Amino acid sequence: MGDLALLTWTFLWLSLLCVGGGLGVIPEMERQSVTIHGWLTAREFVDGYTLTQLTPGPNMLIAVFVGYRAHGAPGAVLAGLAMFLPTSVLAMVISHHWQQWRTRRWAATTERALIPVGVGLMAGGVYTLARTAIHDTVTLALAVLTALAVATDRVPAVLAVLAAGTLGWLLSR
Amino acid sequence: MRRVSLLRLIAVFTWTGLSSLGGGRSAYFHEALVRRRGWIRNDEFVQDFTLSQVLPGPNFSNLAVALGYRLAGMAGGVWGLLAIVLPGAFILVGAAILYLHGAFGGSATPLIRSLSAAVVGLVCVTTLRIVRGSLRGGRGVVVAAATFLAVGPLRLSTVGVVLVMATVSLALHWAAPARSAPPAETTTSPEEIC
Repeated sequence: MGDLALLTWTFLWLSLLCVGGGLGVIPEMERQSVTIHGWLTAREFVDGYTLTQLTPGPNMLIAVFVGYRAHGAPGAVLAGLAMFLPTSVLAMVISHHWQQWRTRRWAATTERALIPVGVGLMAGGVYTLARTAIHDTVTLALAVLTALAVATDRVPAVLAVLAAGTLGWLLSR
Repeated sequence: MRRVSLLRLIAVFTWTGLSSLGGGRSAYFHEALVRRRGWIRNDEFVQDFTLSQVLPGPNFSNLAVALGYRLAGMAGGVWGLLAIVLPGAFILVGAAILYLHGAFGGSATPLIRSLSAAVVGLVCVTTLRIVRGSLRGGRGVVVAAATFLAVGPLRLSTVGVVLVMATVSLALHWAAPARSAPPAETTTSPEEIC
């Protein structure tokens, strides 16, 4: 019981550290889950993160994986709620008020000031993704092919990605 | 207030969530809601995306809440969140059970790597579209470039970078507010960026 509460509390405060994409919180999450609390092994943590990338949904579902490994279904539910519920309520409250606030000058200026930061974070995320995913001519070619297909607006993104993924998988065999 | 019915919203969010493979998930939402269906304008997407990045919390769920709220109010936010989190959570628990019983070997790794590479192509296109539709004036370009350099190549802590760059950008924008006053005028119609 005490450890379940500890698990919930840990993922609650970890969720608050996710700013600008979840990747930044992964090292701290690993330290807490593996080194400090021993909820799973380092190998399991890395494999769990890979699973969250292969399955649909937010990458931060890694919380559900750790929770499940540590305490089964109750652990999965509590870790998932801790990760997603409080910050989603906050996002809802801010979304709700922002639509009223943004007609005022201070809010409009704040918004104009924050958008370039958001755009820069997005571009930085692309860079981080590219650094880990593009490591030879084959992966580069897959990225370029997908980009060209998506840029035409004629192919749904998921089909372009699946086709390129399958092509790369066949080439690697 | 409601732009689409809840059922349509749940269906599209669930499908987009389920079909967003390999990371860079917000790019799939941009494609589904802005490019394909035109439910959300590009400038609105950029606002919600920025909000989802700057607020604490997993940015994909924050984005689903903000976009859902915009499309169908409170109920839209709640259902948008559930639609992207729950299916993935069940699938992940299923995968975790298989994994913990040792069902996966190394065979899945080349597929994951290829998918990740393909996703880089997708997010590049989406990011270029968003940048073209949202950066106005020299200040914005400088702030965006500095933020990119700090969190990308320089690998500085995101939390610190957001705090510093948001402060710098606020100071720059407050010192000399833009000439065109109402925010509606800074918006970009979807056609403009096509």
